Amino acid sequence: MMDSIEDTQAGGDFFNLLDKSGYNLQNFLDKLPVNGKSSVPQGTTVLAFHYEDGIIVAGDRRIMAGSNLMFERSEKIIPVDDYSLMAVAGVPAIAFEISRILSQYFEYYRRTQIRPMSLEGKIRTFSKLLKENLTASTSGLTRVSPIFATYDVESGKPSIYYYDMLGAEFQVLSFTATGAGAGHIRDVLERENQWGPKPLAERCEKDAAIIAMKLLHVAAQIDNKQENAISNVQIYPILASVTENGYKFWSEDQLTRLDSMSREEK
Amino acid sequence: MFEEPYRWMEAVSTRHNYVQEKLKMGQPVMAVPYNEGLLIFGFAPQPGKIFEVYDRIALGGVGHPADVERLRMNLLDMAHLEGFNRSAQDVTSARLLQFGIAPALKQNFEEIQRAPYIIRMLLVEIDNEGKSNFFRMNYDGHWETFKNGTAIAGEEKVMDWLQKEIQKQPFATYSLDQALQQACKLWDESRKLESDDESKKDIPETLQEAFDQWYLEGAVLSEKSARKAIYRPLSKDEIERLKSSTV
Repeated sequence: MMDSIEDTQAGGDFFNLLDKSGYNLQNFLDKLPVNGKSSVPQGTTVLAFHYEDGIIVAGDRRIMAGSNLMFERSEKIIPVDDYSLMAVAGVPAIAFEISRILSQYFEYYRRTQIRPMSLEGKIRTFSKLLKENLTASTSGLTRVSPIFATYDVESGKPSIYYYDMLGAEFQVLSFTATGAGAGHIRDVLERENQWGPKPLAERCEKDAAIIAMKLLHVAAQIDNKQENAISNVQIYPILASVTENGYKFWSEDQLTRLDSMSREEK
Repeated sequence: MFEEPYRWMEAVSTRHNYVQEKLKMGQPVMAVPYNEGLLIFGFAPQPGKIFEVYDRIALGGVGHPADVERLRMNLLDMAHLEGFNRSAQDVTSARLLQFGIAPALKQNFEEIQRAPYIIRMLLVEIDNEGKSNFFRMNYDGHWETFKNGTAIAGEEKVMDWLQKEIQKQPFATYSLDQALQQACKLWDESRKLESDDESKKDIPETLQEAFDQWYLEGAVLSEKSARKAIYRPLSKDEIERLKSSTV
């Protein structure tokens, strides 16, 4: 593993460590062929919105290649640390790699510096990784469109950030969605937030979870690439929350009950 | 000067004396199992004895703070690179010690032109099968493995005494509070063995003084934790309970 006890830097920078070990995401991306196309990720809908205890994050599970279904059990909601989730629409290889790097980065920082990274630091680190993906992303080859949902223990506040493919971050105070079905369900979310029984941020966890399930039904019905992606084969979407207790995923049993509730409730 | 074997051995022997003399001030760090995981703790005039290394691994150190820090950073680098390149399950204390730190420390110690590391280290983990593993490593790269807890200290006679006493108690059956109380009592008793030395005149004489003047650093690796990273520092409440039950 090691030949000698080396001098170390006190910065807690996992990128430096990866670089020293010979790993470089940018080199990999630079070698990808550029095809000049720029397309919106297909067949995916992920969303996040505030509710009374924190944030609900949900997403479908299909991965498409053109009109072909490649995989129907993808996990597009990925834990980054105990209090943060990343929801991704886009090219899975890059999205999963970014989440893997982020996860190690935040933990490495926390352990070396003996304190968690600040919320702003986390957001910038996320942005840096997306910027490194910039060249390949603009070619359409590795476009990633993520949502970052986190609970800041220090301030006691949950936050949602949406990123464009150039790495700019936008804090979302109510809700956001990304992927091919996002446009439709943003309309529904806006309607729920404005004219529903309560604003989304005041809904209880059960109500929020039912809304998320319904929204993914809507996306599946409108986007033909998500058709039947939900319950006919008993593969449910992924549903998670981020609160002061950290992140939590709904179990398969809970999703089964939630799915029937969301279909029955009128 | 060192081309003759005898000269080299003499130089190494001098280094042993030098490091042991420097380590004398080091206060014990103990690691014991309890019924939900394992506990690592120690008193010190300043924080910097107990750290998280990886999801299921913790570190305790005695010695020069800069040396503890440098080895800690090396362990963190190795663990996180391994966790990233392979898997968290491939990050184990045994691998970090056996293939990482120990050979490098030995080499450093025997290269007599280089400054030796003034350190003793504890590396503890709950492995993927839920078993507690305790490792103790010396400044010269020599390491030992224990099943039921271990301790490090500046003085070898204190360390050996603590090691024997830890084995006599069924720590694995204790609750966290009980394990803390018993370990704290052992820590207190072990100080009677310490040699009288002018440099030790500022060391607290009673547990009350230790609580008042020093920091109690402690952490647990808890099997009951729902998180991936099972390390957590002792809470203020747990330390207060310990104080009221032992002082």
